[in-house]
Amino acid sequence: MHFTPLPYLDPGSGSFIIQLVIAALLGIGVAVRASWSKIRGWFGIKPKEDETDDDGETK
Amino acid sequence: MAKQSSGILPASFRDPSGFLFTRNGILLRQVNRAYADDYARLMESGLYEKLVKSGLLIPHVESNAKPADVSTAFKIIQPERVPFISYPYEWSFSQLKDAALATLSIQKRALRAGMSLKDASAYNIQFIHGKPVLIDTLSFETYREGKPWDAYRQFCQHFLAPLALMSARDVRLSQLLRVYVDGIPLDLASSLLPVSSRLNFGLLTHLHLHASAQTRYADADVKSTAVKGGMSQNAFIGLIESLENTVKKLEWKPSGTEWGHYYEITNYTDSAFDHKKRIISEWLEKMKPASVWDLGANNGEFSRLASARGIATVAWDIDPSAVEQNYRRIKSEKEQNLLPLVLDLTNPSPALGWANSERDSFGQRGPADTAFALALIHHLAISNNVPLPRVADFFADICQRLVIEWVPKSDSQVQKLLRSRKDIFDAYTREGFESAFEARFKVKVAMDIPETERRLYWLENRT
Repeated sequence: MHFTPLPYLDPGSGSFIIQLVIAALLGIGVAVRASWSKIRGWFGIKPKEDETDDDGETK
Repeated sequence: MAKQSSGILPASFRDPSGFLFTRNGILLRQVNRAYADDYARLMESGLYEKLVKSGLLIPHVESNAKPADVSTAFKIIQPERVPFISYPYEWSFSQLKDAALATLSIQKRALRAGMSLKDASAYNIQFIHGKPVLIDTLSFETYREGKPWDAYRQFCQHFLAPLALMSARDVRLSQLLRVYVDGIPLDLASSLLPVSSRLNFGLLTHLHLHASAQTRYADADVKSTAVKGGMSQNAFIGLIESLENTVKKLEWKPSGTEWGHYYEITNYTDSAFDHKKRIISEWLEKMKPASVWDLGANNGEFSRLASARGIATVAWDIDPSAVEQNYRRIKSEKEQNLLPLVLDLTNPSPALGWANSERDSFGQRGPADTAFALALIHHLAISNNVPLPRVADFFADICQRLVIEWVPKSDSQVQKLLRSRKDIFDAYTREGFESAFEARFKVKVAMDIPETERRLYWLENRT
């Protein structure tokens, strides 16, 4: 995996690897939540306020 | 602020995207050609507008000023001026926590606009009108699916580690940020945190396991061996949300404050307290200062006489609890113009970083138009043994004008300081005080505070 441009911060090898592991785990949660809200959408249930985005707090 | 002869600010050299410089007293930011695409995306995607509207990003205007380095320049922008630059080791717990949450909130909004923060430095956040604001307009880059967050380690070092230590161990550990200018090393944070912090999923993963991974994979070549497929956008969002939840759950309650009940235990009667406020208010009306530093401000009772008049005011105090209480009040009452900061006047913030010129010292960020030194002189002259002429020299270096309260030896607060030690302070008299300060200041007005033994002076710097 190679990304351009190279980052100006050194992400750190260990930080890079652990991040991939932790994020992969946490990403499952996000994917499950997204599917849930899709399934609930089929039944006409709208997502709760706090599941949308936080732009709302500053409107 | 310290600067090079070119006008380029020495704190701004790491990021190839651009840099800050001053010309004719105006602060400008050069955007380099290398950053042109990302800058265009920030401005055209609506992200800039959204963030500025939410008060999360510093507004700027594009300028016609000549670039400081023509060979690399793409554009010059003029950001709104920050009233006072403060540093994370001067913030109370909630200030650092709000700065962390602002950073993550910006990152979430950036992701929705197809961008991502390429750094997460606590020094990129400043408090303006009581709220944390990102001041580095060039912190955004185009998000590429699969790419992990380069700033993950920096976020953990600058925000998560100090917050966890302050919350779970001791609030004074924020001072480690003064030693480690790029944030607290995670192995150090991990070893200082209590074992129980491993039961917290966020701290276990983002700090403890993160620290072990750094040691274990220190020499791994991730550029060639990195996991195929990288990090999905869902994984990226999961990571940011997890950091957000972890930070949100960290709490610290100011208790047992050094000055906690200070105003209840002083020898002030309510009416004497009001007299003091009235005198200072009248003086402020005449002085109309551009800025006020309230030194030894406690929870900001007297600082508010200035900030409520629209004067940019910094309320410095040594006690993290007093600063925390002050900040909470600013938040809950949506107060403007007041910035509370932690500072030990007997050892003020030094100049730090590369060549000692990345972060300005306490004095370099002055001088203030007007300084308050209320009920402070005895702490400097008696608790810290500083001779009065040296106290006067210090104040003469940091302010044009000084409102200072003389607290005589007979005062019960001074007697309290002398209770456990020999009185070696023969020079601590009103005459000694006046002659020490008259060497550096002209007395404009002086008056006794009714119902007390104390006296207030309005002094003008002789230089």
